[in-house]
Amino acid sequence: MGKFENKYILITGASKGIGFTLAENLDNLGAKLILHASTDAGMNKLTDSFANKGHLLFKADFSDPLSLEEAWQSQINQDIKLDGFVNCVGLRSRRPLTLLKPAHVMQILHANVASFIEMCRLICRKNGFNPGLSIITISSIAAHSGGPGVTAYAASKAATEAAVRCLAKELFKKEIRVNSLVCGQVNTSAYADLMETKSDATDTILERQYLGLGSTQNITNILLFLLGGESCFITGSAIPADGGYLS
Amino acid sequence: MMYCIINDGGDTGYCIVEQLVQLNHEVILIDRKDQLPDSLLKMKSNRFSFYSFDFYQTHLIESELKNILLPTEKLNGFVYAAGIGGVRPLALTTTTFVSEMMNANLYAFLEFARLLSKKTRLETGGSIVAISSVSSIKGLKSKIAYSASKAALDAAIRGMATELAERKIRVNSIRKGWVEADLKHDFIQDNIALSTQDDHARQLLGTIGTADLAKLVCFLLSDDSKFISGTNVLLDGAYTIS
Ligand SMILES: NC(=O)c1ccc[n+]([C@@H]2O[C@H](COP(=O)([O-])OP(=O)(O)OC[C@H]3O[C@@H](n4cnc5c(N)ncnc54)[C@H](OP(=O)(O)O)[C@@H]3O)[C@@H](O)[C@H]2O)c1
Repeated sequence: MGKFENKYILITGASKGIGFTLAENLDNLGAKLILHASTDAGMNKLTDSFANKGHLLFKADFSDPLSLEEAWQSQINQDIKLDGFVNCVGLRSRRPLTLLKPAHVMQILHANVASFIEMCRLICRKNGFNPGLSIITISSIAAHSGGPGVTAYAASKAATEAAVRCLAKELFKKEIRVNSLVCGQVNTSAYADLMETKSDATDTILERQYLGLGSTQNITNILLFLLGGESCFITGSAIPADGGYLS
Repeated sequence: MMYCIINDGGDTGYCIVEQLVQLNHEVILIDRKDQLPDSLLKMKSNRFSFYSFDFYQTHLIESELKNILLPTEKLNGFVYAAGIGGVRPLALTTTTFVSEMMNANLYAFLEFARLLSKKTRLETGGSIVAISSVSSIKGLKSKIAYSASKAALDAAIRGMATELAERKIRVNSIRKGWVEADLKHDFIQDNIALSTQDDHARQLLGTIGTADLAKLVCFLLSDDSKFISGTNVLLDGAYTIS
């Protein structure tokens, strides 16, 4: 029997990168998954990769947090009780201040913060979860150290970490734990795309991230620990998974 | 020196204006409330001007600033002392509520920063200060949206500070604890009712005076702090460590 046999776990942003590797791992460990993506391409990839595994799919656009309630209620059987929720959705943003208009800032904050809070609100309702529910959202070292042009992204990740601290203090009475995982550079397709747009191919962050570029499996291992009962004493925290970057 | 104070009817903003005028600076107050308090009405200075508009409607900021500042006028710094508070448990923390909070505490600030930090608007060596809160780093039950907005503000400051450093422009925020001025506002009254007595006892040095917060702002605006940038200065009466 797998470690997560018959546990219901929701992964948002499951079609790529960290979320996808986590989905593969949890599938092997016997979990029943609710896998989310926002595009048809993302949904197709999930269908192809996990055909006949009995997992559920959830399609929703996090840029529009107001649409999530209807999407969640219409697509997902409301009798399901969740044991875990890992949020891997995160819109990137790199813009100098002069181009940082409110509409862009709002889009990033909607997708990265408001939608995460909204998903928590929807699943933490009565009968929506089992005691012991573990919620984890992926944050970034950007929330802690400044970089030119990453103002909106950094703001969104710091906001999420702050919300996590408050949620933990509110939800512990329902036996729900909430944490964020502060990731350094991880080798995903999004990371490869980002490096391609840079004029020189060196990543200065890696000079400080002395354990080198992380793999999605590195991050997944920590997520599995945070999802499971072994971490039952950890809540309200922002745990670094940064190859030493913040030290 | 010429400074702009952006305020939402808060005593902290008025107090900053008074102190800056006393220091012989030129001050522009932009307030959402169109009534000045007695303290500022009485102040006779031709170095102080006052404008009012609803800048929480962020699309108005660009055009209004064109009315307020002459094309040639350049600031030495500005302070964002506006923003809103509010407590709600998760079940009531709707997207609309989160958006209102982000709008007043982050989006409006960033839009002012975007426009006022342009080369034509902010002098080399200028200083930007925003008022944040210890809620940014300390979780309090039912302050999910408020804490998120203040943490976002603090992180945004770090991004801006790295970007504007080449023009020697500094950007900082102040993480304040319980300040006298806030206690007059109804929304904070509600907060106090909801948080435990214990929370207040934890601010070991007692309630922070509005003038003391304003003094820290004036210091961060001045050249005396010219190597302080990208920080979130704690002014919390020892709350965080207790
Ligand atoms: N990779 C890194 O180096 C790194 C570093 C620090 C933090 N992080 C954080 O880690 C998380 C995962 O990043 P990643 O690089 O593994 O994956 P990613 O390529 O950023 O994609 C993650 C997922 O987000 C979904 N997504 C994109 N736009 C969306 C929207 N508008 N609404 C809902 N979902 C949307 C994608 O689904 P569709 O394809 O269907 O749109 C995809 O499944 C993010 O929060 C990121 O900020 C990553």
